[in-house]
Amino acid sequence: MLDYSEPVARLIDEFKRLPGVGHKSAQRLAFYILRRPKTEIDAFVESLREVKEKIVFCSTCNNLTDVDPCLYCANPKRDRSIVCIVEEPYNLVAVEKTRSFRGLYHILHGSLSPIRGVGPDELMIANLLPRLLPENNDGVEVQEIIIATNPTTEGEATANYIARLLKPLGVRCTRIAMGMPVGSDLEYVDEVTMDKALANRHEM
Amino acid sequence: MLLTELEARNFRNVRGKTVCGSGLNILLGDNGQGKTNWLECIHILATTRSFRTSKLSESIRFDEPSALLVGKIQVSEDIAHELRAVIEGTSKAFSVNGKRETIQRYLGELHAVVFNADELEVVRGTPENRRRFLDDSITAIHPPYVQTTADYSKIVRQKNSLLQNARDRELSLEKISEALAPWNEQLVSVASKVHRSRVRIVERLNSALAKGLFGEEKIAIRYLSSLEDKGDLNDYEALITERLEMRVQAEMVAGHSLIGPHRDDLEITLNGRDIRKFGSSGQQRSALLLLQLANIEIFFEQRGEYPLFLLDDIDAELDYRRIGQLLEYLSGRTQTFVTTSKESFADEFGSLATIMRVKDGEITPSLSTVQSAGM
Ligand SMILES: [Zn+2]
Repeated sequence: MLDYSEPVARLIDEFKRLPGVGHKSAQRLAFYILRRPKTEIDAFVESLREVKEKIVFCSTCNNLTDVDPCLYCANPKRDRSIVCIVEEPYNLVAVEKTRSFRGLYHILHGSLSPIRGVGPDELMIANLLPRLLPENNDGVEVQEIIIATNPTTEGEATANYIARLLKPLGVRCTRIAMGMPVGSDLEYVDEVTMDKALANRHEM
Repeated sequence: MLLTELEARNFRNVRGKTVCGSGLNILLGDNGQGKTNWLECIHILATTRSFRTSKLSESIRFDEPSALLVGKIQVSEDIAHELRAVIEGTSKAFSVNGKRETIQRYLGELHAVVFNADELEVVRGTPENRRRFLDDSITAIHPPYVQTTADYSKIVRQKNSLLQNARDRELSLEKISEALAPWNEQLVSVASKVHRSRVRIVERLNSALAKGLFGEEKIAIRYLSSLEDKGDLNDYEALITERLEMRVQAEMVAGHSLIGPHRDDLEITLNGRDIRKFGSSGQQRSALLLLQLANIEIFFEQRGEYPLFLLDDIDAELDYRRIGQLLEYLSGRTQTFVTTSKESFADEFGSLATIMRVKDGEITPSLSTVQSAGM
């Protein structure tokens, strides 16, 4: 027998699929939804639908965007000679908040992890080398690649892999300095620390 | 270090609250009443880990969502900290004075060294036990090392997964070398750190052991690197790099990592003979005790204070003569917690001790204890 009527049980099950949501939180979320007015829920459902319909990957940098190329890649004021590689879109946001980086990004959407079945082919890395060619970069030659993957073992392995990949191109390749708690996620690092880490990046 | 109060809720069968004496504390009760559970509470508060299980979730009382351990420690004359451990499902959270801390930071608060039957595996068990012993000793005096060991085992696990996959898919040597490179490069730097730290801690333990702190037996230890006869250990980084490159094929065939400090061991000798093979069980107990006392001494050298010393089922492991010597040595040094089921033990050693009775999980300090703790 179900603990709740079927629609409620199904909603709880859907919430439980979300990362970091256990059974208890799923119940709490479901009952929160039940108590909200219908207009609010309609807006919520609409935003879920819209995000799925309108958001695509930027064909240059893999950022999530509703216009391709994305706002960063299309912005003529950004410095196209420098590219910062991050794991996730929220890492881009963290770097962007420092306001000290004016270049372009490349988002991998993950990091190497054989345990989770993530190899180089599972990362959005295939379009990295082509985009660095001047003919695909508004005629601008890329001078430096900053690798800003997380300071975890997976992030380090990913950085290392990319540095090896870029070596034959002879382009300057730097790794951000980790003036931050090791083993943590860039997402949780405050702006001051992030700014310092960017300033202290080193050659790989 | 001084634990002044201890409280537990929904942890195994224990309940209640007690004040602790600053010297010897005797937890007295029949078998199965929960004495060791209380010792385990102290160990978790001190080290964030149980000495019995890696699955702490099993320690939460049936039908309860979480277990709570609270310890009050006296940091200095005027400063007391409240340590809390909350075990909920498979996760555990630690806080100091109500503020949640990372394990790395929390580990500096309290420390405990344990002597029990399981710990004897350090002396007579598999190399894994001895590596853990060394790693724990290092972490005790240098908490950030916990990150180094966590990173190292993560890299090895990732590498194992990669090697297994490569073997199953019969990848070419070139392909597998390429995939391994980012992991091996990290392995070299983290493995070198582990190697250096372990060699150094062995040196320090040996100089503490050489002082002959206690008893007549003389033991010595030596770090046994798995690369010992493969080249110059003084340039460990170069040596392991070379070995990793040389053994790619072998690692792929094995389907797991073959090179690194996860294959190392510690040699423990009594009068020049390997104690694991040739020591009597009494000698093995003495050896473990001496190692733990050496641990306690280097902790003191580093931190200027002694850790807690926990001895489970003390009279099953040591005879009264040894216990007498030991307690005399510890007196004025560590805050010590021992468990026993024998009233005669309390009669023999209890005159200067705080006695706590444990019955059906409940802990009750004896009356004189309450007075001596100034309550
Ligand atoms: Zn873009």
